[in-house]
Amino acid sequence: MTDAQKSNRREFLKKGLSVGLVAGGAFILGKPDFLAAKDTTTNIPDLVAVKNGEPDAMFKKAIQLMGGMGQFVKKGQTVVVKPNMGFPRKPEVGATTNPLLIKTIIESCYSAGAKKVYIFDNVVSPTSGNARNCYKISGIEDAARAAKAIVIPLDDFNYREVKIPGGKTLKTADVHSLILDSDVFINVPVLKHHGSTQLSIAMKNMMGIVKNRMAYHLTGLDQCIADFCMYKKPDLNVVDAYRVLMSHGPAGPRDGNTPNVEMKKTLLMSRDIVAVDAAAAKIFGKNPEDISYIKIGHQQKVGNMNLKELKIVTYAM
Amino acid sequence: MKTAQIRIVISLLIFALFLLLFLGGENISVFLASILLPFQFVPALIHVLTQPEALFVSGLIFILVISFIFGRIYCSFLCPLGTLQDIVIALARKTGFHKKHAFRKPNNWLRYSIFGLTFAAAALGSMSLLNLLDPYSLTGRIFTSFVQPLFVRTGNTGINILKNFNIYLFPADSAYLPVSVIAVTFVFLIMILIMAARAGRLYCNAVCPVGTLLGFIARVAVFKLTIDPGGCNHCNGCESVCKADCIDAQNSTIDQSRCVSCFNCLDACPQTTVSYKLSRNNIRNSKWLPARRGFLIGTLAAAATGLFAFTPGLRHLLGTAHASQNQPITPPGSVGLNHFTQACTSCHLCVSVCPTKVITPSFSGYGLSGILQPQMNYENSFCDYECNLCGRICPTGAILPLPLPEKKFTQIGEVELLKDKCVVYVNKNNCGACGEVCPTHTISFVDKENILYPEVDTRYCIGCGACEKSCPTAPKSIVVHSNLIHKKAEKYIGQEAPLTQKKAPDKDFPF
Repeated sequence: MTDAQKSNRREFLKKGLSVGLVAGGAFILGKPDFLAAKDTTTNIPDLVAVKNGEPDAMFKKAIQLMGGMGQFVKKGQTVVVKPNMGFPRKPEVGATTNPLLIKTIIESCYSAGAKKVYIFDNVVSPTSGNARNCYKISGIEDAARAAKAIVIPLDDFNYREVKIPGGKTLKTADVHSLILDSDVFINVPVLKHHGSTQLSIAMKNMMGIVKNRMAYHLTGLDQCIADFCMYKKPDLNVVDAYRVLMSHGPAGPRDGNTPNVEMKKTLLMSRDIVAVDAAAAKIFGKNPEDISYIKIGHQQKVGNMNLKELKIVTYAM
Repeated sequence: MKTAQIRIVISLLIFALFLLLFLGGENISVFLASILLPFQFVPALIHVLTQPEALFVSGLIFILVISFIFGRIYCSFLCPLGTLQDIVIALARKTGFHKKHAFRKPNNWLRYSIFGLTFAAAALGSMSLLNLLDPYSLTGRIFTSFVQPLFVRTGNTGINILKNFNIYLFPADSAYLPVSVIAVTFVFLIMILIMAARAGRLYCNAVCPVGTLLGFIARVAVFKLTIDPGGCNHCNGCESVCKADCIDAQNSTIDQSRCVSCFNCLDACPQTTVSYKLSRNNIRNSKWLPARRGFLIGTLAAAATGLFAFTPGLRHLLGTAHASQNQPITPPGSVGLNHFTQACTSCHLCVSVCPTKVITPSFSGYGLSGILQPQMNYENSFCDYECNLCGRICPTGAILPLPLPEKKFTQIGEVELLKDKCVVYVNKNNCGACGEVCPTHTISFVDKENILYPEVDTRYCIGCGACEKSCPTAPKSIVVHSNLIHKKAEKYIGQEAPLTQKKAPDKDFPF
């Protein structure tokens, strides 16, 4: 039996149990119509890829193929949407997540009944510009506010230490309490070149919710990125590969040089953070095997990088 | 409205603006710096000598002219330290701690020697005394060391409370202040508080070099507060309200060199024999011969220092700022170590205003001659690539304004990568923290078997310290060394051309 099958079975048992609990609870409360929505779970693909559209249209198509936002966000829940807005760069540079995509995701969360949607990123602090600039220049703050999300500013105080089960190098991490206290966590990275990890995608984006990121750098970036995903997996990963920064990542070119951006106009979506990174690496034109943290993540059973073993739904607009 | 009341309103307003200058944030500070600081004597004087600009030249002329016409109204209206003392004096009076002022003899030897020493030292390249005693700079340090942290902390507490109401604001950072710097400022603050509470404007008349200088001018001012000996019944009304302790009611005389023109005596005189009027018969009123002699000596000293003071060559020769091995890094716009140390009066406005709080005062980083002058502190922070605020607010020209495009190529220091410490070279683990944050193309990565090794090209380095700040090793593997004279960094010309969008959108996925 392969590792993937094993984890699939575990996943299945977990899901079965939770469906049972929800069903039981719903039955007692006399709301059996709730069950109808849950039934579609079985047909949900492992990974959805959409291309040739605008960010909002691609997301709407992808989430529809995923079985609807209702799969991830239930009525009255609190949601954190975590973009990559770690650098004070305009959307055109491709160093930050597309603001239109963020806006569409927030709106989708609210229509699924979310009580509150938060936006947060622990920006790369010694970068040109402060956290406020990063939020602003990336266009995400305005987009998020337009969609009525609550923009959480970066601060140093709201982190709690967590233990990482099975972490090889990273044993503990200080995670922002917003992530720990919210019901749903949607990871929305941008696919881009990265000077020290080859690529920055979904697993790398998780560094934006921890405070002790320098420990990663000190003890081994790739191993720590994979280790942290043992602790926390997002409920959904949406990779923005609309505008892809092909070199000089993660910050993009300096001194106002033209960014080396390729319009890939692609969007990837998956529950599996390793799978979505593997697929994104291929979109970028790299072999997932060559990206250390993806490989380690696969070996540590965070997810599955063998795309052939996954149920993938693609759609070209 | 009485004259003294007008003075109270105006001085409090200006004092409030000074508080805003230090605490108001980028835009407010830049605006207030341009309207307040040209009219502060020492900053304006240093600015004129460093970089003669119309605004500061006219500011200095304005101060001198109003002093020649109205006496030391600078001390009662414009000087923030004067107003701070007035607040203490008023409190001491209200609380009954010190109800009545009384005439005291001038501390001429003290004030003239301090004055002489201060300007002589400054002329010889040591800013130490001037930095410690200049009333504006001293106020700035009091604001930065005590008011600013309190203000930021209160604000952040408020921001934390607002979170409960779903209102999220960005918290502010407080400046980094070494204990030694706070201690020096604290000693001066306590000294001034005690002096003011017990003896009114004693600091201004016994210590302050600006007060002494303006006192020389006030003796020959056009308008003066005078007592008409004929109408005076020696009731001591004026003397008991004179904060400068310069009215001798028994002899019906006012020591013009110490009178700060607060106009308290005008309102206090029941006989209206105290008047503020044109006085042509100048020094006649003064019977204090030592003061007159002092005045002559002082004028000569001032003229002499004025003549050959601040000639950069002389000051470089005698400057003692070449102190330690590890030269401090000076802010962008400060030209170099010599320019900076010989123009900075340690007012700490840049320390308060710097958005990243990278500017940190150092007790003796520049040697004793540059006491309390600030430097770039990359242990705590880094210099924001997109910011040139310090140059836009510096009142003395120590940090000259640099347009942002120019600042982005101003190399204040040069980076060095220590490969024997760097984790990538030592552990063969990817790190790249320095490269992520470098705002120029100084740091690049060389891929060897999927490990990305950092390399530096100092031609592009501007010495902002972002890499040093972000480097995770202890001690740091990448450090910035000071440029004694700031240089110009080269512009990076990208090797690869941006990809052209040749392909029509295909419908294939690579999986």
